[in-house]
Amino acid sequence: MELAPSATWLIASQSARFVLREKTVALLAALFVTLVLISAWLGWQATATVDRIYIDAAAFLQKSGQPVPSNPVLDISPLSLMRNMSVYVALIGALSAIVIGNRLVGLDRKAGVLPLIGTRPFSRATYAKGKIAALGGLILLLALIAGVIAAATFLLLPAVVPNAAQWAQLAGFIGVSALYMAIFGLVGLGAGAAARSETVGLLVPVTLWLTLTFIFPQLTANLNPTAAINPISALAPLPETPFFHAAAQFLGPFSLADAYKFASAGLLDYLPQGIASPAFVPPLADLMLATLLAATFAWRALTRLSMAQGDYNV
Amino acid sequence: MPDPILSLRRLCQVFDGFTAVDDLSMDIPKGEIFGFLGHNGAGKTTTIQMLTTLASPTSGTALVAGHDICTDALAVRRAIGYVPENVRLYDTLTATENLIFFARLSGVEAPQARVREVLELLDCTYLADKRVGGFSKGMRQRVGLAQAILHRPSVLFLDEPTSGLDPMGIKMLRDLILRLNAEFGMTIFMNTHLISEIAKTCTSIAVLSHGKLVFHDRIEAVTARYGDDTALEELYLSLTPVGRLSEVA
Repeated sequence: MELAPSATWLIASQSARFVLREKTVALLAALFVTLVLISAWLGWQATATVDRIYIDAAAFLQKSGQPVPSNPVLDISPLSLMRNMSVYVALIGALSAIVIGNRLVGLDRKAGVLPLIGTRPFSRATYAKGKIAALGGLILLLALIAGVIAAATFLLLPAVVPNAAQWAQLAGFIGVSALYMAIFGLVGLGAGAAARSETVGLLVPVTLWLTLTFIFPQLTANLNPTAAINPISALAPLPETPFFHAAAQFLGPFSLADAYKFASAGLLDYLPQGIASPAFVPPLADLMLATLLAATFAWRALTRLSMAQGDYNV
Repeated sequence: MPDPILSLRRLCQVFDGFTAVDDLSMDIPKGEIFGFLGHNGAGKTTTIQMLTTLASPTSGTALVAGHDICTDALAVRRAIGYVPENVRLYDTLTATENLIFFARLSGVEAPQARVREVLELLDCTYLADKRVGGFSKGMRQRVGLAQAILHRPSVLFLDEPTSGLDPMGIKMLRDLILRLNAEFGMTIFMNTHLISEIAKTCTSIAVLSHGKLVFHDRIEAVTARYGDDTALEELYLSLTPVGRLSEVA
């Protein structure tokens, strides 16, 4: 006998399938995976090169009877070779999440099926839960792919062997990356449901993403847009001026890209000694609060979406 | 009058100060094919949206198959099927894929078998594996009707079902409506402004003008009193005065 799946599961699975068929989503997801692969390859290549040079140098020094210094590859945490991944999560990962969130509800509105869905025997809350579950599943999938690539890189590098705690830190980094992408995905989902037109539904979250990624870091850390995407420069000390101290204190909690960089740096062991996030809310708590806010926005927008008149005028 | 399957009690809908449906009360017995007439903007679609729980009334309520639209929306949705004026479906999916999705959402057991059964019932198995994106208005209307009856509803709401159809399509749809009513005892609530269709299909009619109910009777009584289609048209026009219609236009 066929088991009847729940309405939430049906909406989630169907929506996820539709979104994966979208060319824009597929392209962005492919780009994200490619960039994550490139970042892993760059880290692997740099470490492997240093390791090769060290082995040659060590052999030479040994032959000439000189003392052999320790391998520099082993002096730093192996996790730090994944630091470029945080850049791609903040850039293409967040952007992919926005597009996924937007399309999850935008496809129903564009297809004009809301009245047919709205007359089925389940509540608006079930519809909202289904969409949020679909978003969660797709973002976890993206994060999981990034995690698998990172893990494969470590397994392929003989000189770099993370210990159990470092594997846990890597899992934490993947979790924080999923949380960061979820914030933007939820904003995309909420805006897709709340906006009257498809264009506005996409432009609003993209503008928010641009502001948080490129403008806020200028105010809170004196970073130019090009420096803002650098995983290291964000972690430099603040300029000694009252403006930057005040801006970092008060705008810091809203500077989510900064919070994500600090959280990632802590988890991937590349946060310089003596440097901490200047914001009064710890980075991880900040990201969790932002996720909660974004989820509330998405929930309200989805449960208030008119099933009678919510279709886009296409 | 037999027990009503639809019972509207002082139903009102106000949008930004504009009264779209004004104090609408009426009973519709089980098994009727009910024609809801009215000019454009009279409030017919708004009434259907309230009865199908797509919109909440500003005041008043209605019982659909014994369930209150305001307090028991899920039970109402289990009892109804709805075909909007312009049937829109997922264009990238086939008719069968669309129907299986809606069947599952309606909690239909063995959805594949039920979809096949409904497509056969509506004589449109030839559409089963075709993508909906390439369908004509008539084809969409058929699939729209199919999605509405998958879960065997007791009341079927059709919003301007013949709008945009050619004469062949209109006849085909009319035959389907009559068949669903005769074979399955489905009560049909149909919005329309086609007088000729009302006479051929409906067992009772009501006329809505500027949100108010101005006429409600059984079709036999109407034809006995007013005669053929032409007289019915005159009756309709007398109930929706031209002067008032020009305000709407």
